[in-house]
Amino acid sequence: MIHWLTDNWLKIAMPVLAFLTCFVVGLWVRRVVERAFERWRARTRWEGSHLIVKTTRRPFLYWFLLLGALIAIEVSALPPISALAPKAESIGVNIIGSLFVLSLGWLVIILGEQLLRLYLPKVKATQSTTALVVNAIRVIIIVVGVLMVLQIWGVPTSPILILIAVLVLAAAVALRDAAPNLFAGFQLGATQQIKVGDYIKLETGEEGHVTEISWNNTHIRVLDESTVIVPNSRLLQRTVINYGHPLKKAKEPFHFYSRTHLTELTGLKAKNLREFVDILKKVPDTVIYHHTHHFLEQHHYLTPEPSNDFAVWVSDALGDEVLSEGLASVDTFAFSDLEALRERLVGIIEEHLSKRGNFREVMPGREFHFAKSVSVILPTPYVAHDLREFIEALRKISLSSLYFHIFESRLRLGKGLNDFSIWIKDSLGETELGEEIARLDPYTYTLEGLRSALIQVIEKRIK
Amino acid sequence: MAARLSGKVIQNINSTFVGGGVAEILSRMVPLLGQLGVDARWNVIKGSDEFFQVTKKFHNALHGRQERIGPKDFTLFLDTTQKNIGEIELYGDIIFVHDPQPSGLITRKKELGKKWVWRCHIDVSHPNEEVWNFLQPFVVQYDAAVFSAPGFSHELPIRQFLISPSIDPLTDKNRELPQATIDSVLEKYGIPKDKPIITQVSRFDYLKDPVGVIQAFELVRRSIDCRLIFAGGTATDDPESDKVLPGVRERAANSPDIHILLIPPGSDIEINALQRASTIIVQKSLGEGFGLTVSEALWKAKPVVASAVGGIPLQVKNKFTGLLSHGVPGTAYALRQLLTNPEYARWLGENGREHIRYNFLITRHLRDYLLLFLSLDHPGDVIYL
Repeated sequence: MIHWLTDNWLKIAMPVLAFLTCFVVGLWVRRVVERAFERWRARTRWEGSHLIVKTTRRPFLYWFLLLGALIAIEVSALPPISALAPKAESIGVNIIGSLFVLSLGWLVIILGEQLLRLYLPKVKATQSTTALVVNAIRVIIIVVGVLMVLQIWGVPTSPILILIAVLVLAAAVALRDAAPNLFAGFQLGATQQIKVGDYIKLETGEEGHVTEISWNNTHIRVLDESTVIVPNSRLLQRTVINYGHPLKKAKEPFHFYSRTHLTELTGLKAKNLREFVDILKKVPDTVIYHHTHHFLEQHHYLTPEPSNDFAVWVSDALGDEVLSEGLASVDTFAFSDLEALRERLVGIIEEHLSKRGNFREVMPGREFHFAKSVSVILPTPYVAHDLREFIEALRKISLSSLYFHIFESRLRLGKGLNDFSIWIKDSLGETELGEEIARLDPYTYTLEGLRSALIQVIEKRIK
Repeated sequence: MAARLSGKVIQNINSTFVGGGVAEILSRMVPLLGQLGVDARWNVIKGSDEFFQVTKKFHNALHGRQERIGPKDFTLFLDTTQKNIGEIELYGDIIFVHDPQPSGLITRKKELGKKWVWRCHIDVSHPNEEVWNFLQPFVVQYDAAVFSAPGFSHELPIRQFLISPSIDPLTDKNRELPQATIDSVLEKYGIPKDKPIITQVSRFDYLKDPVGVIQAFELVRRSIDCRLIFAGGTATDDPESDKVLPGVRERAANSPDIHILLIPPGSDIEINALQRASTIIVQKSLGEGFGLTVSEALWKAKPVVASAVGGIPLQVKNKFTGLLSHGVPGTAYALRQLLTNPEYARWLGENGREHIRYNFLITRHLRDYLLLFLSLDHPGDVIYL
């Protein structure tokens, strides 16, 4: 071995020298280029320049090392050690070429990604769109790099190119519908017509808060808390009402309930005022509630609505218009519990009996029959997290739902205040608005009229 | 709500598949409950002609009409009930018995358990005491009773619910008809369109007071030229029409403006056409379970004059959705009012249609039945589902 080294020291030294020379030249060239680049950056103040310097600094040196290795192989005049030596030279050249291509590809990927991440946000591209473009570029460069490496190693690439062309064509056909959505996504991002968090309403009726804008779809969380996915292109082609940024979120969402009822008969009946008032004193609260409220649902289409059952019976069956007026004019809204309401009604009748007397008996069949309501309370899909969602749900809920939250909750369930006011005050902190709604006398509206009045009051607050 | 009844079988039992309001409602209600996923089925009891004559007498007596009912009648009722108890299969989780005819089946409750509901379609506000006292021991064994109007309830030791009957707006009897169909029906029965038409649609039985209708019409005819149509059919559980119809025909024989029409079962489009061709609908019943013909008329936005009996005041809110009357002169007066004030009549008709839309369509009825079935397992006044 020592003998071989002694014989060939010059043949060994030449390639080593060539390699080291390349390394030194590489260091010098890098310094010169960096200086030139610094001057150019100072002149143009291009914010991407530091990325180029930072990214190319190390690979630049590696390339010179690879160049050195290549020159070393080329200038080497060492005698072959074995029969494989000529092939080894060719393999070495191929490895160097492959490493150069891969490092170049890696550099382009890193640089391209950093530049895209720098520039895409400036054109308001969404995060998902940026990720999509970056990934697409990454894939393209990797494919090109692999093809070049294969070319270096002498592998035929034509069939692969044909396969890639077919795949690209198939993908283009498959994604032909996605393209408009992709471009629409770019446009939405660039124009900021619709942003995440906005409350939007489509002409097809879907509405809710935008929770995500991806490269092809926009996700809307609708009032029943489900998610509607709308293709981006549809948002640009159709009329969309954008109510803008989200309003203050409630601590707890408002869940809308509905209520339906079944009338349960007590079997108790009165044929004169004395019997009537005696029964009225002892029946459960739910009977008082039924007879002072059920007309609100039953006759809500009539203007003016008939009054409570007691007043109607006293007028129609007993013919006592004075007492009927007294009972009809009881302001139910002024009472926050049913016991107090009962006392007021009983008081009016007792006073009337003591002053005027009325012991008339009704005709058979015209007796007053006491009944009560069995309420069945059901959840609805509507949920509101802020006032905008609340208004939109208010437009959609049934009249029974409205009735439940305004009338039944306040008086029958003994909350003393309607559900809407409680939520707006406690969960949204909108005390003034909650009180304004609490001041609305719901007994003076039809149910549809009440719905409009509520919407009007809340819309005024939002504006 | 329907999902909460999943797995339960609702077995309806009455006395006839055809004719009358109960069969008409069940024929719509059972399939609709099925569509909601509720397993509702329908069976009828069997009975001889004599049995149905007795139950018809019970029916009239419960409506408050004087009837001669003897021990033999009660015995026949009990014997037929026993036969049916032996023959009918009681498989429902909720057994929903309609009207008095099958009410005695409750005697199997002790043996079978299950939930039992008695659905009373009759006005029992002023019943014949003897018949009511005979039936009451059956009634109080049920878990709940259902009445069509508040006035029908009694002080009973069981829960009582108010569920009014309903009409189905999509059936042949209630759907919109082209004018050509209406004209062809009038032509078929030889009714010219030359004058205002007053119509009563009801079975030929005493409680519908056909003679009273003719008397009221004659009072109106003294000052206003008009026609009267009395159109009715029969039912298999109603043997009374054979007696009543000849008397009515005889009473109307001298007036060419009175048209007594015996409409065969299933002629719903013809009934619909006659109601739609009418200027005013009258229902001068002496007793009425509910009076679905009033609902039908109001749904067609027709001005209605009806007796304040049974469930009619629930439908006709006097001077809001129609006019209520209490006798022949009152009916005649109300008819004259409407014939001479067509704008007022139109306003009443429109209100009446809305009243039916919100309170007496089959959708409301369906919901009430679901609530009823659910409430059997929830004794409280407020149920959270």
